[in-house]
Amino acid sequence: MAVLHAWRAARVTPLGELHAPPRMTAVLLRLTVQVVLVASLWRGLYAHTGTTAGLDRGQAVTYAVLAVLASRLRELDQFAGRDTVIQHMHYGTIVYWYLRPLPPQRYYALRALGEQLYGFAWALAGYAVCLAAGVVEPPRSAAVAGVFAVSLLLGQWVLYYIMLLTDQWCFWALRNNAAVMILIFAQNLLSGVYAPLWFFPDWFVTLSVFMPFQATLSVPLSLYIGRIPLSDAAGQLAIQAAWVVVLALFTRFLWRRAARRVISQGG
Amino acid sequence: MHAVRIMWRVTCLNFRAQMEYRSEFLLMIAIGAIWQVSVIVFATVLLTRFTGMGGWDSSDVLLIPATRMLAHGLFVLFLGRMHGLGRHIQEGRIDIYLVRPMPVHRQVQLQYFPTNAIGDLTVAAGLMVGALARSDLDWTAGRITYLIVAILGGLLLEAALFTVVASASLRFPAADYWGIWLEELLGTFGSYPLNVLPRAVGGFLTFGLPLAFVAYFPAAVLTGHDTAVPYWLAAASPLLGVLAYLGSRLLWRWSLRHYAGVNG
Repeated sequence: MAVLHAWRAARVTPLGELHAPPRMTAVLLRLTVQVVLVASLWRGLYAHTGTTAGLDRGQAVTYAVLAVLASRLRELDQFAGRDTVIQHMHYGTIVYWYLRPLPPQRYYALRALGEQLYGFAWALAGYAVCLAAGVVEPPRSAAVAGVFAVSLLLGQWVLYYIMLLTDQWCFWALRNNAAVMILIFAQNLLSGVYAPLWFFPDWFVTLSVFMPFQATLSVPLSLYIGRIPLSDAAGQLAIQAAWVVVLALFTRFLWRRAARRVISQGG
Repeated sequence: MHAVRIMWRVTCLNFRAQMEYRSEFLLMIAIGAIWQVSVIVFATVLLTRFTGMGGWDSSDVLLIPATRMLAHGLFVLFLGRMHGLGRHIQEGRIDIYLVRPMPVHRQVQLQYFPTNAIGDLTVAAGLMVGALARSDLDWTAGRITYLIVAILGGLLLEAALFTVVASASLRFPAADYWGIWLEELLGTFGSYPLNVLPRAVGGFLTFGLPLAFVAYFPAAVLTGHDTAVPYWLAAASPLLGVLAYLGSRLLWRWSLRHYAGVNG
């Protein structure tokens, strides 16, 4: 029975997507065009350059295309379903999360899991097409593929906690629009979505080591293209796992504190 | 004059409303700034690692993001509420606007004060000053006038694109998603010479999605670089912005007349 309830909660947002054809079409077109544009851009940039920042053309194109695909993993529109924390805080309906037999933190996690699995299906389909078309290079060995898969899983786990933190911020600030936008900016810049972190100055790379963002995308993708050698993989995976533990404990603490702030009809 | 007075008063009220949430207000200004900084960072990284991008030197390239960002900042300030309109349509707020004695488009623009535009414009103005200071061009009155006209043309072209998406949202609110993509494309591919891209891709960003007319062509005209289109067409970019905006407003009026609302 618990599995059935979990399944029902997890599929809410993906079902909403499937019932919005313009969004589905837009996602498909956006993904296709973005991959073509990004691949073209990096090929164009490398037209007169050999290897720079330790990346050759194939590695740079592969990294950039995989970054585009990975950014689709969790990009669904919960807002349309009026089930974001900010909306519940605004309308006062957040109290219902605390009246259900399902704890709010579990409900939130199940919704996120459903979204990420749905996004993963898109990314995987895109990856298969890109691989078949020769846009991205395959992993250099089965070991690299395995380490990449583990690293990607840990990265998505870290990303989940980062996004949860911005939502938990609503319990104190009521609004999280700015926090979400800052997060998107930090995530894109410090995880290497705009450009691989290897292109940035040394001080910037050092700075990003102390933040969780590079654990979400830069580490798995760098492992995939071979910019981080397999010999260093264990250390990187350990750092990712450490971020998962730290953020899990912190968000758990915040869920407890948030529950004390929820009031219904004026208290 | 009466309409202008009302718009000014509503804007002042909106500004005060934004100030009600002080931390959010300050964060939104910061957001506008750092969002633009991300564009600069991306452009700087590319310029540092790949010199002579598309045959343009770095001082000329900087003129492209400076023009685009200034146009974007002005768009956000004056006409930016067309972006993200789908959510308001979903919530039925357009239905309320329809029964008020003020044009719907004006009410949409007066929904809230765009605090992030303050940060957007601050960084964009700073980048423009930097780009002009590094430029070796002779900044005659004619060039300066063209630059100002180009920025206004870019503002109108961006507004036209988002107005088209908003018009589509009146029929399909989920079409708002296209606006997010449009913003991403403008930010990513509008800030450097498009001749680094293959001809077909550059053609798409010129004739499919007229992104090249926002800043790339005007910057090419100012710096004397050749583009994939005739010189007269590149030079006419600001005019294209005006025409595109007028066309998009006609489309908006037509879409509004055919708007059925949630209840049919």
